[in-house]
Amino acid sequence: MTDRPSILVPIRVLEGESVPEGVPELLAHAHVVLLGYHVIPEQTAPGQAQMQFEERANDRIDEYEEIFEDAGATVERRLVFTHDGQRTLDRMTTEHDCLAVLVPNATGEIEDVLVAIRGAVGVDRLARVVAGVFGPMGVTVTLYHVADEAETDQDVQTLLDGATQRLTDLGMDAASIETRIEREQDALDAIVDSAEAYDAVVMGESDPSLVTFVFGMPAAQVADRFLGPVLVVQREPAPESEE
Amino acid sequence: MAEQPVDVEPGGQNVAGETPAAEPEAVTDDTTVHDEDVELERTIGLTGGLAIGIGTMIGAGIFVFPGLAADNAGLAATLSFAIGGLIALLVALPTSELATAMPRSGGGYYFISRGMGTGYGAIVGLGLWLGLVFASAFYLVGLGHYASAVFAELGVGLPFSPVIGIGLLFGVALTALSIGGTENTAKLQNVVVGILLVVLTAFLSYGVLDALGVFGRSSAPETFFSRGYFPVLSTAALVFTSYLGFAQVATVAGEIKQPGRNLPLAMVGSVLVVTVFYVVTIFVATSAFGADTLGQFGETAMVEVARDLLGLPGAIAILCAGLLATFSSANASILSASRAVYALSRDALLPRKASEVNLRYGTPHVALLAAGGPILVLVATGQVELLAEVASFLHLVMYGLICVALIVLRRRDPEWYSPSYRVPGYPVVPGVGALASFGLIAFMQLRSIGIGILVMILSYLWYRYYAGDVILKGDI
Repeated sequence: MTDRPSILVPIRVLEGESVPEGVPELLAHAHVVLLGYHVIPEQTAPGQAQMQFEERANDRIDEYEEIFEDAGATVERRLVFTHDGQRTLDRMTTEHDCLAVLVPNATGEIEDVLVAIRGAVGVDRLARVVAGVFGPMGVTVTLYHVADEAETDQDVQTLLDGATQRLTDLGMDAASIETRIEREQDALDAIVDSAEAYDAVVMGESDPSLVTFVFGMPAAQVADRFLGPVLVVQREPAPESEE
Repeated sequence: MAEQPVDVEPGGQNVAGETPAAEPEAVTDDTTVHDEDVELERTIGLTGGLAIGIGTMIGAGIFVFPGLAADNAGLAATLSFAIGGLIALLVALPTSELATAMPRSGGGYYFISRGMGTGYGAIVGLGLWLGLVFASAFYLVGLGHYASAVFAELGVGLPFSPVIGIGLLFGVALTALSIGGTENTAKLQNVVVGILLVVLTAFLSYGVLDALGVFGRSSAPETFFSRGYFPVLSTAALVFTSYLGFAQVATVAGEIKQPGRNLPLAMVGSVLVVTVFYVVTIFVATSAFGADTLGQFGETAMVEVARDLLGLPGAIAILCAGLLATFSSANASILSASRAVYALSRDALLPRKASEVNLRYGTPHVALLAAGGPILVLVATGQVELLAEVASFLHLVMYGLICVALIVLRRRDPEWYSPSYRVPGYPVVPGVGALASFGLIAFMQLRSIGIGILVMILSYLWYRYYAGDVILKGDI
């Protein structure tokens, strides 16, 4: 078995969110950390919500777990009652060594994937996610970089070549990897505009943390305008060693 | 109540056939873990914990009691507040130890029911709920006094006293807000407490300098024990209501991050902070006016003190601060009372229905109404001192029993009892804490003691009737 990358799939299980179309297939080769969570107001003790909703929530998660397993993923599950959804996501990411967090949106059959690369930092984790999730699927991966004025074409090519090298090292077919460079556009707009032609997007974590990304402006923009699944690759956890 | 082994899971059932909810498997710095990978996130940090403690306490001691206390005990009211603070500290230390060993929702009720059995637990738990109800009512009447003072300041003459009406209005509003509001009020609470501390520090610093004669004004000289020695203790019993907040921190112990570190710091820290503020406040207030004049000003005496020191702007600042402080105290107490109802219902001492969460807002409307409803009845009485004393009585019983529970647990030393914080000076500190808590009750008015005892008897009868078979001692 290849090294399955751990992907966190957060689902607001009691607010009608479910596993969207196409997502189980997307993550068929990943290790899915399925997080059902329920955000409750401060007036309510988490245990109080647990007492009332645990059964219903677990029933749903059972269902989702099965969907992912049927698609071929390995699944680990958690149900969390929290006052602070962002904190819970952050904690889960660290505790389960998740390489990426999925913003779950529906998608069709996966053929083309856009991989936005910001810079050399974090390329390794990005490559592990891409190679692990998409490598066995035989899809076309487009490495994409929005260059700023200070970067020469050569700089960018070196960056993308490095990433390509890393992906082939991890067993991907060089023929399935394309590169693309964009200029003179705001990075985020560029990603969203280009993404329309693709079935899924992989991108690095925007600072300061995953939190801004999953819930804040950039994610809202990419995920809302793109309407497809986005894998947000997490930064390396600072002190802790990885498996 | 016979001694039961402490390593049993809670068991038995109440009249309605409900059993206590299962206990969690483990407690970590970030979560409470139940079986099948179910986790409850801990989200309150040290600042949040301190804000709950200080926010609950500071409203009463500074903005409601100075006039009443000075009237009762004269300048020695300073000593009354110091005694109250000392007792609170003696209880906060053992409470901290228990809270780090059992960081679960319900606070004192939880420790006592697990350490000493269901009977004591029921008396304390129902007492905690009603104690918080009395305390909230007391804060709301205080709020009413401040709001009325605003009308007076504006020169709006009302043909009737609006105190109770305003208290009732805010009681209804707070309950409704708690049920229907889903905004993050915790951050707001932190800000309110921050503002209060800044305003008070500035005001009190000026006041102390003035009292020491730095500004060349003569302050009212007075004998310390102008009313004798006994009133010092009876006043301490009265004003103890202003030290109830640290136990509210324990009520949300299940939601505090890194409970082993944050719970003791939040509880002991908030007691120390408010004690200093209280003592200085009374000192400044009595220095400015003298006990007699101060006593005549009643609940809003601090406004007059501020006016004397800083003129109209000072009076307005303290008026606003008083409104904020009593409001935040009342709010925090209603929420705590609702948590207490939840804890009781979880353990099948109250119907499970009582902790029900509504789907629309995700809030526990039954528990909040169980707090808000009785509060309105009590506000309607408008009896500041009585409300305060009954609240103190019910809390003091719990505090005393917390200390006893600590001693019991330490002596039996069950396997599951492994607090990460250990109270210094065992067994003296919890022993003195228990004696002082029970002792202070003796200095209350007979009426308050009577009502308090009645509540305890009714609680016990309720337990015998409703949940006589429920066993709560045992595992975490």
